[in-house]
Amino acid sequence: MGNKGKITMITLQTNVEDIVNDHPQAITYGIENGVSFVFCVGAFPTSLGDLLRIKKVADPNAFVKGLNEYLINNPEK
Amino acid sequence: MKMPKPMDESYKLFIDGKWVNGKDGKTFKTFCPSNGKLLATCAEAGKEDVDKAVKAAWKAFESWKDVSPQERSGLLLKIADLIDANKDKLAMVETLDNGKPIRETMNVDVPLASDHFRYFAGVIRAEEGQAVMIDKDTLSIILREPIGVVGQIIPWNFPLLMGAWKIAPALAAGDTVVIKPSSATPLSLLELAKLLSKVLPPGVVNVITGAGSTTGQYLLDHPDLRKLAFTGSTEVGYSIADAAAKKLIPATLELGGKSANIYFPDCPWKKAIEGVLMGILFNQGQVCCAGSRVFLHEDIYDKFLKETIAEFKKVKVGPPWEPDTTMGSQVNDAQLKKILAYVEVAKKEGASVACGGVQMKDKSTENGCFMMPTILSDVKAKMRVAQEEIFGPVVCFIKFKEEADVICMANDSEYGLGGAVWTKDINRAFRVARAIETGRMWVNNYNNLPAHAPFGGYKKSGIGRETHKMMLEHYTQKKNIFISLSEEKVGFY
Repeated sequence: MGNKGKITMITLQTNVEDIVNDHPQAITYGIENGVSFVFCVGAFPTSLGDLLRIKKVADPNAFVKGLNEYLINNPEK
Repeated sequence: MKMPKPMDESYKLFIDGKWVNGKDGKTFKTFCPSNGKLLATCAEAGKEDVDKAVKAAWKAFESWKDVSPQERSGLLLKIADLIDANKDKLAMVETLDNGKPIRETMNVDVPLASDHFRYFAGVIRAEEGQAVMIDKDTLSIILREPIGVVGQIIPWNFPLLMGAWKIAPALAAGDTVVIKPSSATPLSLLELAKLLSKVLPPGVVNVITGAGSTTGQYLLDHPDLRKLAFTGSTEVGYSIADAAAKKLIPATLELGGKSANIYFPDCPWKKAIEGVLMGILFNQGQVCCAGSRVFLHEDIYDKFLKETIAEFKKVKVGPPWEPDTTMGSQVNDAQLKKILAYVEVAKKEGASVACGGVQMKDKSTENGCFMMPTILSDVKAKMRVAQEEIFGPVVCFIKFKEEADVICMANDSEYGLGGAVWTKDINRAFRVARAIETGRMWVNNYNNLPAHAPFGGYKKSGIGRETHKMMLEHYTQKKNIFISLSEEKVGFY
């Protein structure tokens, strides 16, 4: 919660709840790239890697790279 | 109208009949999504708190399992009466925490919740085991026995009602419960816990609050649960099923959907159009079985679309505590971002925004997470917006020609939760209802979810059924007592 807005490097191990809390704009990136981070219980409760595995993302590393670039180019207002 | 504030400033965990702080002293805040105002501070349950809750539930189980059906039924009826007696407060707490309109919480969430306890109170008085003579000397008795302590996790879209759907059958079955609401909407379940504490022995129901990654995960990982129950997304459902499988315990899962709302030319016209709104605007579209794909026969497509747009534009989106509001706010900013992102996806895919498609921002909604009722037209069945669960007031209009075509398109989904067919032709109604691979098919209505009719999914929409006495199958286990009435040796040894 204390990291809101501060750009930190997202990895496959990063907890999706932390991504959503600290970088809510990541939700838009996720949807654009076929992965929702938030659901009707809240944010996905474990790691980004777990979520990408469930969603059968072909190249998780590319997804993460794209996400980090997106966050740099789209800081939360 | 000024926002009321019926809830407490802060809430603790409800464990073993007592309100207790979390051991680590951690808390989180819950906010009204309609204006961003702080509603309350809640305790965050850590690992030790979850363990304490499970232990309390086991201690309570020792006596709860032997409470007679008559007495248990009486207690469930008392809970129902208390819910009804506190209807105004429960409804407003739910409205403020979730963002849904007061007319829905007063007329749907709270009454259906109390009725759920009444339904299961009735079910268990008629529940009986079985007995059969295997042969003239052998009697087989089948008894239904409680399963033990169950762990339950519920979502933010219908917190009180999902709480009722989970707690009522578990208590009816003789089980004890540890239940976690979503950290986005904990308040109505905490208010329900206050009512439960007036009726139930300590430890029979324990309410733990906190985030999914911490409190939720501690519950899933706890080794001493005998069953898990979950309502939420398919993606998280995989984690629940995995947690249950690792412990070799059952899990019932009520998961996501992308339900087909199918309209033939002979549909009861005005009611049919209302059925679109019921299907996608009720609860701001935040319904697992929302009618998010409208399939319209080509003969009526243009006229139906035009008239539905007119109805969508009449919907009053506004502060949910105001009695004339028909659509409130989405549950939080994250959900609103998701919905808006999908509208952009729709445009890129070639769909048209026939109405809405943007955040609602006027004087009364500018500080909240409000979305305009949205119709996407010219949608093709394979588009992402027609396949993926958006979970907002966004409906896809898809044209079809033949009955066989629409059945094929409707079934072209990984989900199979709800759906509807609108026609006055009874044969067509049955043919289509039978052909769609989904657990619930409404005919000439939508989003009716009372007790007494089973609800649950096919395919990736879940495992198990709720809102019906068959729920007792999930919350009990069968004991077979196999009795030899003969005192003669068998002669085998």
